[in-house]
Amino acid sequence: MKKALPWIGLLARLILGGVLLVAGYLKAFTPDKSMMAVRAYEILPIWLANVLGIILPWLEIGAGLLLIIGVGIRYAAIFGSAIMVLFIIAIAQAWARGLSIDCGCFGGGGTVDPSKTRYLEEILRDTGLALLGLYLLRYPVTKFALEKNRSQIRTPSQGE
Amino acid sequence: MSSKSPQGPDNTTRNLVIGMVVLVVAVGAIFSVLGNKTSSSAALPSNVSKADGYGIVFNGDLTGVPVVDIWEDFQCPVCARFEQTNSAYLEKIIAEKKAKVVFHTLSFLGTESALAANAAACASDEDKFLGFHSAFYQNQPAENSGAVTVDYLVGLGQGIGITSDKYKSCVANLDYKDWVNNVASSGAEKNINSTPTVLVNGKEIQRATSATDLGQYFDPAAFAQAVEGN
Repeated sequence: MKKALPWIGLLARLILGGVLLVAGYLKAFTPDKSMMAVRAYEILPIWLANVLGIILPWLEIGAGLLLIIGVGIRYAAIFGSAIMVLFIIAIAQAWARGLSIDCGCFGGGGTVDPSKTRYLEEILRDTGLALLGLYLLRYPVTKFALEKNRSQIRTPSQGE
Repeated sequence: MSSKSPQGPDNTTRNLVIGMVVLVVAVGAIFSVLGNKTSSSAALPSNVSKADGYGIVFNGDLTGVPVVDIWEDFQCPVCARFEQTNSAYLEKIIAEKKAKVVFHTLSFLGTESALAANAAACASDEDKFLGFHSAFYQNQPAENSGAVTVDYLVGLGQGIGITSDKYKSCVANLDYKDWVNNVASSGAEKNINSTPTVLVNGKEIQRATSATDLGQYFDPAAFAQAVEGN
């Protein structure tokens, strides 16, 4: 089992990193749409939603690259899990309040026809991704990562 | 735990890679933020009012009449439906000076939307905005299919009687590119989250809730009432 952990870690890195990279890339070059997607959640003040709509895709790209290359794994994993949890909260509140929006996770977003919402699916997907991040936080030593020894994989919170 | 190479690369390589990723993120984010800022030096087409969110304004001098704000994207199919439903009425109230109508041409669906919005501004300079507007929507090409090109827009202009070289160069050189951006920023500030979004006196009209309940968007009588009822 112990031998399998780094391989599971590799898989977790590639899935979480790949999803973040693709999601970021699909939004980074259509900022108008991405800003609209964040505004449609109706949680943040408009100016803040607009700033987040521009910057968040780039942060996702950054975290995705770090995970795929395999450096700063724990930082990237914490970031990945944290934003997934925020996405889950945001989607859940939109669902509970009866908004009809697209999550805008991979581009798109904004108000959609009520029949086109897919809240449950989006929440389950983000839960899975958040768990991958937590796995990497617990077992950050993975196959084919640039950083290999334990001293390089620094712990943001506590030293092991 | 790592059995083969306990050392791994040195810290310099690791830090270099992290540094490069951070740089990519920072540069990308900064350029995106700057690209989205309203440009105060943007060239403005005729009939544009900065106070009306850089929209193209008809009957801007009238007071005491309803104000209709139409936020749209030339590539949005539902906007074409709105236009087909209500354009005759809109052109009528503009001509009869019964309302102030402001068109906000957003471009969030892609570069072809921005090309079309720019061309619409060029047409506005020729006093042919409304003609361009309905001609474009009548033959709206599929979203981002590559159909909307400079040649296409020049041809569309010729179809409605715009033959000047000024229009051609305005379309080809994206003369109003910055203005197109300003309209987009203005929509972002005003919390416009879908197209079409139509406001009468600052308040959104009622959306369609199903195929049978057309709301005030897709029922010409209901739309006219929404405009005049105020």
